[in-house]
Amino acid sequence: MIDKKISVRQAGILIIICLMANKILLLPSLMFQQIKSDSIFAIILMFSLDLIFLPIFLKLKSLYPNEKLIEIISKKMSKIVAKIIYIIFAIYFIFKVLLVFSITYVYFKQQIYQDEFLWLIIISCLPVINHALTVGLRAFSRTIELLFSIVIVGFILCLAFSLFTEMSMPILFVSDIKSFFSSIYKHAFSFGDYLFLFVIIDKIDIKKGDSKKLYEYSIFGMILVILLFIIFFSKYQVTAFMHNNALADILVFSIQFNAIGRLDIIAMLTIMSITLFQLEIFAYGFCDSFINLFPKLNKFVVILFFDLLFALLYYFSIGKYEILVNTSHYWSPMLGIFVNYVFPIICLIIIALSRRRKNERKY
Amino acid sequence: MKENIKKIFHNPMLIVFILILIFFTPLSIYSPGENRNRGIVTAIGIDKNNQEIEISLLTFIPTANQTYKVKSSIISGKGTTVAEAVYDAQLQMGRKIGLAHAKTTIVNEELLSEDVSMYVDYLSRVASLPENTVFISTNNTAKELLETSQSLENELGLKLEQLVGFNANNIYVTDTSLEAFYKGYFSEVKSSIIGSISLEESDKGSNQEETNVDDSKENSSSNKKISNKGEAVLLKDGKMVAKLNIDQLNGINLLNTRALNQIITIDNVKLNDDLYTLNYRIKNKNIFSNTNFENDIPIYTIQLKLGMELVEINGLHDAIKMNTEFSEINEEIQNKLDIEIKKQFTNALNVLKENKTDVLGINEKFFRENRIMYLKYIENLENIDDFLDKVNFKLNVIIQPD
Amino acid sequence: MSYFNVYKIIQELKIEFNESIDFSYRFYKKDGQIIAFIYLKSIIDQNLLSNSIYYPIQTFQQMFSFDDLKDKIIKCGDVKEVKFSDVVKEILDGKVVLITNFTKKILSVDLYKFPTRTPTEPPTSPVIQGPREGFVEDLQTNITLLRRRLKTKDLILKTLRVGSQTQTKVVIVYLKGVANKKIIEEVNKKISNIKTDGIIDAYYILSYLEDRPNSLFKQIGNSEKPDIISSKLLEGKVAIIVDNSPIVLTVPFILIEDLQNSNDYYTNHHYSSFVRIIRLLGLMVALISPGFYLALQIYHYNILPLNFLITIADTTQGLPFTPFLEILFIFFLFQILYEVSLRLPSYLGLATSVVGALILGDTGVKAGLISPPGVIIVALAKIALYTIPEQSSQITILQAIFIILGGSLGLAGIVAGMVYLLNYLNSIDSFGTPYLAPYSPRIEDDLKDGLLTHSVLDFKKRPKSFSPNKENRV
Repeated sequence: MIDKKISVRQAGILIIICLMANKILLLPSLMFQQIKSDSIFAIILMFSLDLIFLPIFLKLKSLYPNEKLIEIISKKMSKIVAKIIYIIFAIYFIFKVLLVFSITYVYFKQQIYQDEFLWLIIISCLPVINHALTVGLRAFSRTIELLFSIVIVGFILCLAFSLFTEMSMPILFVSDIKSFFSSIYKHAFSFGDYLFLFVIIDKIDIKKGDSKKLYEYSIFGMILVILLFIIFFSKYQVTAFMHNNALADILVFSIQFNAIGRLDIIAMLTIMSITLFQLEIFAYGFCDSFINLFPKLNKFVVILFFDLLFALLYYFSIGKYEILVNTSHYWSPMLGIFVNYVFPIICLIIIALSRRRKNERKY
Repeated sequence: MKENIKKIFHNPMLIVFILILIFFTPLSIYSPGENRNRGIVTAIGIDKNNQEIEISLLTFIPTANQTYKVKSSIISGKGTTVAEAVYDAQLQMGRKIGLAHAKTTIVNEELLSEDVSMYVDYLSRVASLPENTVFISTNNTAKELLETSQSLENELGLKLEQLVGFNANNIYVTDTSLEAFYKGYFSEVKSSIIGSISLEESDKGSNQEETNVDDSKENSSSNKKISNKGEAVLLKDGKMVAKLNIDQLNGINLLNTRALNQIITIDNVKLNDDLYTLNYRIKNKNIFSNTNFENDIPIYTIQLKLGMELVEINGLHDAIKMNTEFSEINEEIQNKLDIEIKKQFTNALNVLKENKTDVLGINEKFFRENRIMYLKYIENLENIDDFLDKVNFKLNVIIQPD
Repeated sequence: MSYFNVYKIIQELKIEFNESIDFSYRFYKKDGQIIAFIYLKSIIDQNLLSNSIYYPIQTFQQMFSFDDLKDKIIKCGDVKEVKFSDVVKEILDGKVVLITNFTKKILSVDLYKFPTRTPTEPPTSPVIQGPREGFVEDLQTNITLLRRRLKTKDLILKTLRVGSQTQTKVVIVYLKGVANKKIIEEVNKKISNIKTDGIIDAYYILSYLEDRPNSLFKQIGNSEKPDIISSKLLEGKVAIIVDNSPIVLTVPFILIEDLQNSNDYYTNHHYSSFVRIIRLLGLMVALISPGFYLALQIYHYNILPLNFLITIADTTQGLPFTPFLEILFIFFLFQILYEVSLRLPSYLGLATSVVGALILGDTGVKAGLISPPGVIIVALAKIALYTIPEQSSQITILQAIFIILGGSLGLAGIVAGMVYLLNYLNSIDSFGTPYLAPYSPRIEDDLKDGLLTHSVLDFKKRPKSFSPNKENRV
């Protein structure tokens, strides 16, 4: 996929949207089931680990301003390693698409639509994703940039309106270290969203002094998510496990403003747009990795393949809703571990190798 | 023709749009809309009579008028479980039920003799009853309460939810919603408190009975009336253990900053050589509480700073002449108020202790502030519920004129 | 010695013009010298012809020579020498061609005249305060209007002729050193490549200029007001004036230009910011409110506030239509009324409004065919459309699409439709300028003239969106 470059601001916004992923809906209640309110610490810890990606990314970008990641890896390591990494990327992104989609589908089913309308949701989302893939990264990141302020205002409104009820500080430090880390391990897949930046490393136009912006945007996004966690737990305390859709549920149980009626429409629109953006981003991640694996393929073939794969995987996992939603099983922790820990190490090795090469040249 | 088909395939979004037009639009053109497909329920009552569950739904009935007056009727269904009863009600109504706007859920006391959570669980999880619905109990059947509430609406223009909302804001003060119930239910102490509204025989109704026997028989609910005494029900493990009257509730509410406007009456106060009865109202409230262990005894210290306002004076002589706004609170009044407040609080606390229901969050407070000591202490206890009994309360009341 | 057989030539020209009734000629003979005046009487100033050409020739006492004719005798208009092969074209351009038998040279005198309007305020963009002149159908007048505002030698006017039959003059206007050369070249190339028999109006050129001619969205700006065009030229845009059209096109075009109104610049900028926000809101209301209402009614009764839900349920009870059909019915009713009122002569306008508003609306409700909330929602959307009249045709189509999406798919359909629409708009480039600039991509400097406008004092730089050659205005 040959795309024109996107600006740092757009990249930062994409990262914020990625960061929210499933964390604004299901993750808070899932984590609460295991480690209660200590999930706040878990998420802060994971976010700070995530932040390590950024300097690595910026270093890599400064070393190879215009090269694709696959080219960098094949140059510094080997073609096979690069291909394997990209296969894992493709799997990671397609599962991320599935995860986000299925979580949102459940949300739609529970709160927006009264009956199950699977096809209705699919026909709303999939064509838009396909169109976004055809018009390319630049066009859809511009859309996200345009709607970003509205979405964030919606998000903040959700947080603000939810403050209109009684809340008490969540009880912290209740879980032991072992369960704390096992929970982090189980939910590792939900993190590591910076991977997307690496996939589009050649398509970001970073000017001098702009790299600070990336930090600012990511920290802003993280603060929003952490705030959501804190508000969610302080609002629901022990019943947090019952509420699967954090962002929407914090609104439901607040004071009702008579004239406006139910305020969760703000949450609904916010979540719907965030979800669509995430699906676009992750689908793009998948298609981009895939096309790098098979460079000869036509863009449209890849998009069609994505649709088929998505439909197939979704069809086989729809009955096993828990597999997708309880990301704590089977494949997902492994993928998470790879993305969160192994991949940064590979990047560090590449940076080290390229530095050595440069030094050699000097002397 | 070929050209046209080619053109269509040139733009994939057109295909999607055509697909939508073919597969979805006819369905929705045919669909009369959710608001006509569903019976919009504004209140639910669940009753249990001899192992049979009866669910009563106060359902809004659309009428082609433009007076904008809500016309509702009660539709009930029976079954051995709530799900069956709801299904039965749906059959009666000929529509699916829509609980999204149900603002009140009423259960009768017989239902509360068992774990009530298993009855409301279906409604809240599957039938998407919103968790902020007001959750109350009634001494009679919920169905009758709903029926009576309709006449209330006709006479006073007052909806049940408004009545309950008034209670929730002024009497129960702690939320009496389904969510609040669940919060208590799932906490360590497993105790929660929900409001209660009773039905009583009304005088007017009995008069009617005398004069027109046939009519009252047909319309048996009309001789009952809603009597809002501001009562509440204490639940332990989802079962009802005690009923609190308004005085006991006020005692509990002393520890709630949101609960204001309580009236405290003291008798035999000597003012200007005469004895008066004074009514004070709490205007503002500051609560500082603290927990600690002294010699392995848990101590809960509360400092209650109350801003009081004199609202009424009753006495033999010239009571009206006295200016309530500038009255002083002298030592005697202070002492009497102090005693009265402490009495109220102790009364309420005794009920809680008797029933081992910690709705005040004493356990949680100890856990938050003295976690290690608390856990150690709990280990020695047989049951976590016994903890409330062991706590030594120290109430310190400071009264300020407002 | 005679160079031309004047009579023969006239006969030939007569045949060439198919003996058209406005083909005219006159002779002047004196001492064997013959001067023939050939012209189309429909497009020349005949008074001027007799006063400034015929009369001086008659009173001239000496023998004629070409130079005398050209420099001394004829005292008006552009007088120039033309080739014989150009004679037909010159005649068609409203010139009087002088053919003589004493010289080989042919003279043409510009006496072009046809009835024109005087510049008046265009009905499409009235202003409360500000200049009221508008372009007219005459190219010369239009250029004059622009010249009057831009007294600079850098104002370049380049003429091209388009259309094999109409030979319409198309003038590309730009400020040298300000407009981007690439854009000028592209416009030039696109116009030169037009192959058609006729250009009747500026809108004929429009489709040739657009990158995506099949798109619903216009990618070329237009205006009827010289003050707007001048300010756009100063921003570094390229304007295209087409003869016989009062509409002047500008490229590149971005969507926000339609949110900007010339009124905005002639009032307080705080107020104009407010008005622009209202316009955007109006746009949103116009776009989605019928679809949204339908989605809520068909799929999401739970989102509607209870009282509103009750009102809707009460009023729709007993209607013969389902919600979807009801909205479609009202929508088309309004659209038909709109079309009718547009076409009808103004004295019948009152009749249509009476029929439309009173009989169809009120009685429709009373007869139980349509519900009051439905009428309100669709009417609101239809009125909100005209907060941005320039986009009303596009939005009308989008309204219909959103009604179908909202009705068929619910809220998800509307959100997806919105995201799709924005993705699509973002993929459009108008002459290298992103269509939704300066908001996506965000161009900080250009936001001064965005929704929240700054005072004119802050417009020190030209908008970057149009990539002008020179960014600083001064």
